Amino acid sequence: MYNKINIATIVFLLVIAGCKESWLEPDPLSFFEPGNTFTTPEGLQAALTTCERNMRYCWYGDGAPIITELLFSEVAVEGTTDKTGPAQDLNKLITPTANLNSADANKIGWFWYEGYKGIKYANTVISRVGTIAGLNEEVRDDMLGQAYFHRAWKYYHLCFQFSDIPYISKEITTPKLDFKSTRFEVILDQMIKDLEFSVEHVAAVKDAGHVTKGACQHLLAKLYLATGQFDKAIAMASNVIDGGTYSLMTDRFGADKSNAARNVVWDLHRPANKSVIANKEMIFNVISREDLENSRLSTELMRQAVPFYLCSNANKIYTPTGKTGLSNKLAAEEDLRKLYGRGIGRARNTWYHTHTIWDDEEDLRHIPGNWMTMGELVYNNPDLKKANDPYYGKPLQLRDQTGKVLTSDSIRNWYDWPHYKVYIEDPKKDASESYNGGASDMYVYRLAETYLIRAEAHFWKGDLGHAANDLNAVRTRAGAAPYVAGDIHIGTILDERARELYWEEFRHVEMVRISYLLALTGKPDENGKTYSLDNLSQENYWYNRIMGKTEFYNKGAKTVHGDEYTMSPFHILWPIPQGAIDSNSRGRINQNYGYDGYDLNVAPFENIEDAVAAQ
Amino acid sequence: MKKNSNSKTCALSLWKKLRIMRYTLFFMMVCLSQIFATNLYSQQTKLNLSMFNSRLGNVLDEIENQSEYYFLFNQQQIDLSRVVNVSVKDKNISDVLNAVFAGTNIHYVISDRQIVLTTGNNTGDFSVNQQKWKVSGKVTESGGQPLPGVTVVVKNTTIGTITDINGNYILEIPNGTEQIVFSFVGMRTVEESISGRNAIDIRMDEESFGIEEVVAIGYGTMKKSDLTGAIAQVKADKLEKENPGSVQDILRANIPGLNVGVSTNAKGGGSLEIRGKRSLKASNSPLIVMDGVIFFGELSEINPNDIEQIDVLKDASAAAVYGAKSASGVVLITTKRGKESKPTVRFDASVGLSTMGVNMDVYDGEGYLDWRQKVQESITANVKPGEFAKPTEENLTKYGITLDQWLAYRASSGDAEKDWLGRLGLFETEVENYFAGRTYDWYDASFQNGLRQDYNASISGKNGGMSYYWSLGYVDNEGIITGDQYNAYRSNLKLDAAINDWLSVGVNANFQDRAENGQAVDWAAQIINNSPYSLPLDENGNMVIYPMGTNTGGSINSMFDISYREKNNVWTTLNSVLYAKVKLPFNITYQVNYSPRWVFHNYQKHESSQNPYWKTLHNGLAERQSRKNFDWQIDNILMWSQTFNEKNKFEVTLLQNAEEKRQWEETMIGRDFSPTDALGYHYMKGANMLKSEISSNDYRSTGDALMGRIFYSYDDKYMITSSIRRDGYSAFGQSNPRATFPSVALGWVFSEESFFELPAMNYGKLRLSWGENGNRDIGMYDALSNMTTGSGKYPYVNNSGQAYEMSQLYVDRMANPNIKWETTTSYNAGLDFGFMNNRISGSLDVYKMETTDLLVDRKLPDFLGFNSVAANLGEVHNKGFELSLNTQNMDRDNFEWTTSFNFSLNRNKIVHLYGDYMDVLDDEGNVIGQKETDDISNKWFIGHDIGSIWEYEVIGVWQLGEEEEAGKYGVKPGDVRIRDVNGDYQFNNEDKVFLGSSSPKFRWTLRNEFTFFKNFDLSFMMYSYWGHKSTYDRPLNKNGFLDRTSSYIIGFWTPENPTNDYARLYSDDKNLSARFIREKSFIRLDNISFSYNVPEHLIRSYSIEGLRIYGSVRNVAVWAPDWDFWDVEQYQDMYDDNNWKSGPSPRIFTVGVNLTL
Repeated sequence: MYNKINIATIVFLLVIAGCKESWLEPDPLSFFEPGNTFTTPEGLQAALTTCERNMRYCWYGDGAPIITELLFSEVAVEGTTDKTGPAQDLNKLITPTANLNSADANKIGWFWYEGYKGIKYANTVISRVGTIAGLNEEVRDDMLGQAYFHRAWKYYHLCFQFSDIPYISKEITTPKLDFKSTRFEVILDQMIKDLEFSVEHVAAVKDAGHVTKGACQHLLAKLYLATGQFDKAIAMASNVIDGGTYSLMTDRFGADKSNAARNVVWDLHRPANKSVIANKEMIFNVISREDLENSRLSTELMRQAVPFYLCSNANKIYTPTGKTGLSNKLAAEEDLRKLYGRGIGRARNTWYHTHTIWDDEEDLRHIPGNWMTMGELVYNNPDLKKANDPYYGKPLQLRDQTGKVLTSDSIRNWYDWPHYKVYIEDPKKDASESYNGGASDMYVYRLAETYLIRAEAHFWKGDLGHAANDLNAVRTRAGAAPYVAGDIHIGTILDERARELYWEEFRHVEMVRISYLLALTGKPDENGKTYSLDNLSQENYWYNRIMGKTEFYNKGAKTVHGDEYTMSPFHILWPIPQGAIDSNSRGRINQNYGYDGYDLNVAPFENIEDAVAAQ
Repeated sequence: MKKNSNSKTCALSLWKKLRIMRYTLFFMMVCLSQIFATNLYSQQTKLNLSMFNSRLGNVLDEIENQSEYYFLFNQQQIDLSRVVNVSVKDKNISDVLNAVFAGTNIHYVISDRQIVLTTGNNTGDFSVNQQKWKVSGKVTESGGQPLPGVTVVVKNTTIGTITDINGNYILEIPNGTEQIVFSFVGMRTVEESISGRNAIDIRMDEESFGIEEVVAIGYGTMKKSDLTGAIAQVKADKLEKENPGSVQDILRANIPGLNVGVSTNAKGGGSLEIRGKRSLKASNSPLIVMDGVIFFGELSEINPNDIEQIDVLKDASAAAVYGAKSASGVVLITTKRGKESKPTVRFDASVGLSTMGVNMDVYDGEGYLDWRQKVQESITANVKPGEFAKPTEENLTKYGITLDQWLAYRASSGDAEKDWLGRLGLFETEVENYFAGRTYDWYDASFQNGLRQDYNASISGKNGGMSYYWSLGYVDNEGIITGDQYNAYRSNLKLDAAINDWLSVGVNANFQDRAENGQAVDWAAQIINNSPYSLPLDENGNMVIYPMGTNTGGSINSMFDISYREKNNVWTTLNSVLYAKVKLPFNITYQVNYSPRWVFHNYQKHESSQNPYWKTLHNGLAERQSRKNFDWQIDNILMWSQTFNEKNKFEVTLLQNAEEKRQWEETMIGRDFSPTDALGYHYMKGANMLKSEISSNDYRSTGDALMGRIFYSYDDKYMITSSIRRDGYSAFGQSNPRATFPSVALGWVFSEESFFELPAMNYGKLRLSWGENGNRDIGMYDALSNMTTGSGKYPYVNNSGQAYEMSQLYVDRMANPNIKWETTTSYNAGLDFGFMNNRISGSLDVYKMETTDLLVDRKLPDFLGFNSVAANLGEVHNKGFELSLNTQNMDRDNFEWTTSFNFSLNRNKIVHLYGDYMDVLDDEGNVIGQKETDDISNKWFIGHDIGSIWEYEVIGVWQLGEEEEAGKYGVKPGDVRIRDVNGDYQFNNEDKVFLGSSSPKFRWTLRNEFTFFKNFDLSFMMYSYWGHKSTYDRPLNKNGFLDRTSSYIIGFWTPENPTNDYARLYSDDKNLSARFIREKSFIRLDNISFSYNVPEHLIRSYSIEGLRIYGSVRNVAVWAPDWDFWDVEQYQDMYDDNNWKSGPSPRIFTVGVNLTL
């Protein structure tokens, strides 16, 4: 009897345990699958948000990527002088295999890697937006246009940082390891086509942080400029300038409006004012807010840009009486930390940036209160007070009566800086010595730059009068005297950009673009020199201008640690990280001239059809 | 069947019983010793027999089949072929036996289930030689229980007897007899010299490495002599006196080819790896099976005190029954069961102390200032004479400068000593403490002597058909890092009930509640980054967070945050197995196991706003995470076992299995509490919702399997095992849900062959096996593309200036729907041997394993936006050799000495990767062939070890006088000198070379055990890894910020100390990540244990069965000739720049007492 029962039991158990294929189907519970999530406009909007969030990192955090863009220009050098590693001895440190993605080195590799990640995010939208059934056409084209903007924004920078690079225009869903580089001009041309779609379809007015028509127009104007299409650049910039949506801010506005000691330039760069509706100059911003815990990012702007004046140990600032002049302690009565921020001097401004370009004392961008000089700081070390030292509370001096320099590290500890741009309150760090700079929105595009783009387009066309007009719009708003046509050359435009767009523009990219255009157009630079596309990595305006304007690279300047500032013309383009070349094991990504591996280059794709077909 | 050719006796029927019952032999031995057991069984058990003209042997077999009785007898005395007639109905055993043996001289004695048959008196007497005198005595097992059925023979004769149920024997021996031999299955044979005595008592020890052990083989057990696979075993009771704190401690160094990692925290543990690395991405940890059921938990859930034995399946054929999960080998853990009818209570208590097993010195005050002077002199360009020297009279004279000159180096004109400290980079707080004469020993404060306590109690027994085992244990350990603490309660309940003669059921429940609440200080930061002149308290006695007075260089007083943090981190696990076993006709057994497992994890944390830094950072943060896991498995097992013609043995096992794992996890993090966070994580409602987060993480995976195994042996000489398993797993569920894994293995006991004549060798067996195993150990969703909202959101700002957040969404992982199992095909050849009656025994295995379709994270070009994709690519080969040798060196009355030695070596090679080929060029640049390309990004190279070190070669340090050449590389004397392979003054991949491997060339372990005066045991164990290397960055002297922290005391280059082994302080390698290479070979004396068994006569009057006192020292000493940084075995991560994983290992002293009632 029991035999039958047992056999029945076995059969039953075998059946319930089941051997059906459906038993083994993967069952994701807490994450989305692309297949079903990207089928709604909400899903795609979230994908666009990823693009915006990715873009934001350029301006935020310790060793923010934009610093590398400043270091490869004439406005700043790497000022952390206590170690080898930061981008000072470029001839030794900027190689394809070196550390290219670290706050203690540089962020070249970051631009590469995160740039392509941004392209991936944009391509997700581009590849999928057409597949959503029943999606309103207007919404669809607006989303597609925004995605095109993001992709173009990334490629624009990558092309002038790395020149010929792989072109990826769609969502890649299967492993692929046989990429080749595409000529950067080919990519730029395609970006123009995409953006021409964007400016037609992206809405003009949106909540701040979203891509608007104005942002697309601004970038398109830049791309026209970069490809030598100057008339189109003028027309597109004019669409922004004269479109009615934007205007330069000339009157006081926003949070500090009633503070008579301040001015409109100060107002423009207050964290609270950057994205308000009253700010007509803002075209496109990235957003970060103190009180939104799940999205806030610290700028740490003061830590990066302010000199290391609060150093109180090794290479400190002495009083003329030979005492330690400054204290970082929270207990200090003169709490300089909270007034100006505690800097470490990573982006050390050059003399060019702090002095050479300032040709008008009335320029609001350089007046006391907006612009800080070391002499405006005071000795605050409580020990000085205890010892009744006469210098306590007195302004800092670089030299004593005998002319002796009172600090052993004048690179890192002693330079002037644009307080109005870098001062960002850091309430989370109230109780900390590291008052670094908290959350704030940051400008990606501001109308002042649109004027400077149009000015440049006029310049390339030889229309110096109109070029001067556009420059003057920016200058006079800041209270500076206007230029006349005869003042205008390419250097004047770069000077104005330096005055206006510090920590906004990607300075190195813009300089490379201009160097390329000088070679493309054959126009002479401000020193009468002309260039050729054939040997741009050997002979270029970018290098010559940095050599001419700064006192660091290749002039024997050394840090206290003994590292020498060096640079070569080929650094105009950055090295493709070796990892990208190695991991593309079935194809060849080209390396730039001057870097190891250049001799293995193969011919890049010369037209967009080949580049697209090869994906 | 005859195991001892000298003996004409054997407990014939015992063998059959062993096959049927499949319990461990140890279990059988204890059953045998039930001499005072009640006669309950014999009274209750009724037999029906109706046999006519049957041979006596068949009748006894039938009685054994109908009941649990088994017979012990001397084959020469009992004529099994005698024809008998018997017809009884519902009679008890004595009635039956009276009927069977009526009219013969056969006597029987029934003891519980054991029946001893004799003729004449109760001792066997089968010799008719002239008898000169008698020897008598008692044979007991190591626990003191009498041992019946032991064969006692005069050496080299057929004269002998067996012991009675009280273990007594009387043997009449001829003149001139010198030695008698005591033998019993599962016990070490004892040869005893008579030396004129006529009373000889013998204690027989279990033969732990003997050939007759019963071994767990997965879905069943097997006699070791029947094994065809490479299986190694360790008996936990052998190690009891070492007081293993974890399962890993039991395994460490006891199984050749099984490598156990180290864990130095209070919890203990360590990783397991069998026979080298096979997989690149998937786990290399072996599968754990507990009491026959696959165990999904972590090893800490198993109390080592509950373990009876552990079997490790090393080769493919043995492991193949676990198919897809077995590629890294299988560890089978068998826990204890109730065995004796009398309840046995065991109590075990031990206390211990964890102390620093190795120290690394850091600077004291004076040394620190001296070192910082050297730092400044090294990092400053153009040092002026005496610039960083203390401005004393003596020093100034030495450098030939005046104080004014010295001061003028800087703009200083104040207090020279103070300025000097400033030049060394001391912070204001340090300077104050220096002048106040205050220093602090951060090293001393960061480490402690940790108290360890371990208490276990168990009760076990067997009553009628019911056996039970219940244990309760509590362990409470402090680690050597201040604040490191761990405690756990564990309980194991096991019930097995034989309901009737065809059905038995049982339950096994394993419970653990463990708390990992310790908050260890950040010792690595404290001892290095805090200077001796920095203090944990300010002048008012309040704790400070930044002892240096400023947040710099990683300096921290981690007790500051700990004092504001409350943490609760508790796991509660319940692993259970419910089974039913049914005997079917034709010797078929059916068993079903249902094994559910629950895990509850509760994590709570509160970071108080009372901490001024947290006040501004988040104004109070509280986190609660709760997780529930529910996993279940069901096994349906059919077993058939039959012997034909006494020589043809068949065993068939069939399995059907299904499994499911599920998780539900929710996390909430609250910030910015109002009105206050005083209630901590108990009042989440107080959090500001805008600054808080909630999230969840659930998963589900499924699997199933079918398996069949057949074992056949002929005459116990030739055997074959073959199995096939088909596995399904949802991680591969898109295209390749199932895969099949076959195996076959052969065994040949050549020592049983008649032609085998090697007197010294008493046992020899050859094993050969082949099989395939799978590895499925990847993330259960790795094949799917996932969309994630990432960590955090992104804000936008509306018209009224109000910011709001939105989720982002992106594809984080590239899908690979075609992903499938990784398969390892293995070949194993083994030799088991025993010499001189197993005084020397052991085994030897050689193997080769070929792993194909490797699960890898294939590197993708990073510009795809994905770093890698899970894929099946490539092939890795492992081959190796294992030797295990056990010797009984000395076996005297008052002194025994045994040694076991294991040796293993494994070689690993990547054979294929991605199938990408590149041209091979000759010197002129002509293509002369093709070769497969390496994966440089992952540092995987065709033809090389997975652990190959491929780096720039540091060939020393640039010395004075070599400035010019060093300058061509942009460096200077004191910086590391890297071999410029192609001499182009550039460093790139072409300058990297192979510098050895991180895998040891070989490993060995050695264990020696001594017994003095029968009651004193002493053992020591040592092990060694040899021939492996590691990159080592400390000698670069550029870890962290040397100009603002303290340091370990390690060598550095100066012009006065022109070493080639260390670079100058803060040396410059131009960001090349140059590394020194150091040999990591070591020998560790891992354990010394001592125990004393209090003799029976001292404790018996207190009704105590056993009392043992023991003591042990773990991690006694390490010898590593080329290593000088913390514990050599801990330094694992060759590319981890911070080396934070490296640190001290504990030396643990334990004393304990073990009481059996």
